[in-house]
Amino acid sequence: MTTARKVSSRFAAVFAPLTGARIMAAIRPLAAIAIAALIISIVLIALGASPLAVFADLWQGAFGNWLAATDTLVKTTPLIFTGLAIAIAFQGALWNIGADGQLIVGAMAAGAIGPALGGWPHPIAILTMLALGAIGGALWGGLAGWLRARREVNEVICTIMLNFVAAQMLSWAVHGPLMERSRSFPQSTMIAPNAQLAFYFQPSRLNCGMIVAVLLAVACNLMLFHSAVGFELRALGRNRRASAFFGLPIRRLTVGVMALSGALAGIGGAVQVSAITHRLFETMSPGWGYEAIAVALVARLNPLAIVPAALLFGALDNGSQAMQRAHGVSPELVYIIQGMVIIVLVAFDAVASSGLRDAFFGAGDNVTAAPDVMAEAGDA
Amino acid sequence: MIEAVGITRRFAHTLALDRVDFRARPGEIHALVGENGAGKSTLISIFAGRLKADAGTLVLDGTALAGGSAHLALRAGIVAVYQSPMLFERMSWEENLALGGFGAGASHRDPAAAAERARPLAARLGFDLPPAGTSVEHCSIGERVRLEILRALSFDPRVLILDEPTGVLAPTELAPFLELLRRLRGEGRIVILVTHKLGEALAVADRVTVLRHGRVAAERTSSATSESELARLMIGEIDSFGGAGSISNAADAAAIARTSAVSFAPNHGSQALAVENLTLEGDGRRILENVDFSLSAGEIMGIAGVDGNGQGGLVEILAGIHSPTSGHVRVMHDRPLAVIPQNRDLDGLILEMTLWENLMLARSLRRRFTRRGWLHRSQAKAYCGDVLDQFRIRSAGASSKAFALSGGNRQRLAVARALAGNPGVLVAHDVCRGLDVRATAEVHRMLKEFAAAGGAVLLISSDLDELLALSTSLAVICRGRLHPVAQHDRGAERIGLLMSGVA
Repeated sequence: MTTARKVSSRFAAVFAPLTGARIMAAIRPLAAIAIAALIISIVLIALGASPLAVFADLWQGAFGNWLAATDTLVKTTPLIFTGLAIAIAFQGALWNIGADGQLIVGAMAAGAIGPALGGWPHPIAILTMLALGAIGGALWGGLAGWLRARREVNEVICTIMLNFVAAQMLSWAVHGPLMERSRSFPQSTMIAPNAQLAFYFQPSRLNCGMIVAVLLAVACNLMLFHSAVGFELRALGRNRRASAFFGLPIRRLTVGVMALSGALAGIGGAVQVSAITHRLFETMSPGWGYEAIAVALVARLNPLAIVPAALLFGALDNGSQAMQRAHGVSPELVYIIQGMVIIVLVAFDAVASSGLRDAFFGAGDNVTAAPDVMAEAGDA
Repeated sequence: MIEAVGITRRFAHTLALDRVDFRARPGEIHALVGENGAGKSTLISIFAGRLKADAGTLVLDGTALAGGSAHLALRAGIVAVYQSPMLFERMSWEENLALGGFGAGASHRDPAAAAERARPLAARLGFDLPPAGTSVEHCSIGERVRLEILRALSFDPRVLILDEPTGVLAPTELAPFLELLRRLRGEGRIVILVTHKLGEALAVADRVTVLRHGRVAAERTSSATSESELARLMIGEIDSFGGAGSISNAADAAAIARTSAVSFAPNHGSQALAVENLTLEGDGRRILENVDFSLSAGEIMGIAGVDGNGQGGLVEILAGIHSPTSGHVRVMHDRPLAVIPQNRDLDGLILEMTLWENLMLARSLRRRFTRRGWLHRSQAKAYCGDVLDQFRIRSAGASSKAFALSGGNRQRLAVARALAGNPGVLVAHDVCRGLDVRATAEVHRMLKEFAAAGGAVLLISSDLDELLALSTSLAVICRGRLHPVAQHDRGAERIGLLMSGVA
């Protein structure tokens, strides 16, 4: 009984009341988007286009009707999974650039076994798909983590390279061992119908993947801010040397965090196979693993904030296609908007976090030493 | 003459400096003293251009200084050596010197040439330079401070500002260093010396300015004042932080700081820590060589030595970061071994995390507030609040970030964390570096109480007075070898010889 209450209080803590600081944290990204929009408007006016019309199209394409809105959610889902993967790894200062490869390996695991799940009950088959995705991604991410922990291999280089390996592995698999029986296209056999996440809202492609993603975001938030492991992870990310001094299991954490990060991306891959593609193709990811870095940075590595941040990027992706269809505006414009949002947000962030430290930047070369002075003032 | 008039600087809600007037004349060594948090570091940062004053003016030799630009300050000839050395961690010490004045001119930033130019100066100061090519991240604090002093001197400064430079210098290095300061004074330069050692301030400085809570409490000529007067000026007439068991006035604080004998008899209790034949090799050099000692409950064992002679390696082995190349460490207690690292900002605290989270870095505390893998945040915060009260750490609360603490309060937090974990053995490395007289006395009292309650303390320090005052047994470490010092052999001269490797 007490456990139940504790858990519920813990959930309450996740959705803590909006304090001034929390409201400010929520307003800041909105303000950044507004400023980015303003700058884009100037560009559009210079190009002779009407900013209002373009933004209206963008909105129309992203949320204009039921189909558009649900399609935005469908495009958002993989970005939540990969965004969470990046946020968890970056919180531990493990620079996982390999969410793309981890997603692909997760999708491959699910796509390879999926056709064989025909006789299984629907929920079990679905859970098996997700588990396969998690295991595939965890292996791929964990490999990079293990190389970092044991052999001091730089995880940035390692994960980037593993992205290429994963992409080529997928290409080889759908041309070779996993190729469909008819051998007409480079694609794998369709997964069993009961391993598919159903479209409950046809003709929309809306599926339960989004719910899984949001639940995982809540779980990641609990893990990160309310569990002992999450604490150790954040400590590791902020000061590796101090973590060593206080006996944190650095190697175990490194492998574990990279595996967890990979598992999140891998589940994203499995959901994509289970819900959308139903089979493996040569290109499973349009670069979600890379876009996720932007998502995670905009969300300031906060798992709960990943959801709206991914929604922003999903909406921009989806809206831009409609914009292009309607007005022939180049979809590249959307990349410009995305880039502007990130730059403005990062600029905002620097101002906010250095509110007290501003004076030191540009003066000292040793950042850890800089706050000393300010700190002395702290109790003067 | 360098002059600050009406300097005011505010940080968020605290007034760090309140209309401070300060004046140092050419050919003068001017000491700046004050408690932790009095505003000393802020003032020298304003001189050096690292901070911009909110109000007030800076004048050097009749010319107004722009302020807020370290580059302009350097061009005007103002050079500062900070308490936390500002070196490029990932570069070798030679490269760091090449980026200073030693690298200027024809050789143009050639590290080897810069090192060669630095050598005569280092030799004159009795500074041992690290092995060639050592990157600064592998240098001890002492080595870093020495490098920073050399680099500062390479700029041929008009005004040299030194923030607590002597804390990590060995007795053998101290005399030539002070001699150098006197020579700089003789050349008509201005030396500003921030220090907590009042005796040293009086011995070497011509004038002393006392800061208290961001204001100038007094300016005195050294010949016309005394340690006790300075201590009183620093702390103020009425002590607003007195509490049960605390030091109630400045005179007591000074007295405790100078206590030369341990008040309790060494309790020959059970063995708490055994270090057997420890050898550590790294970076191609032998860091520790057959280090062998044991520590009993109730004992405070002091290890003296010039910083960078293997102390860091020993602490890291005891903390479990490195495995020794050979030898063993046995902790006999069922209670944990707690470490207070030397470099609190880099190793001891996570500045971007909150105070309660920093407390939870100690494994035993983390365990206490973890149930089935969940961290009990509210309980941990409440507990942290108690610890902050108990150890009188001045902060904005358990949920404020560690970087908002002053240096002294950071150190107190590190000590509080180590003791709160109920350890059996405490390893304290340079535990009072940068602490003012009163805070030092408090930490000393905590260590003594801990030992009296049956704890074992390994006190590694560059401060010989501290070691002589506290330790029940003493050893000297030099080039990775440990030399025990017999009770009757505790003369400063004898220890100094051991530290320099002569004896």
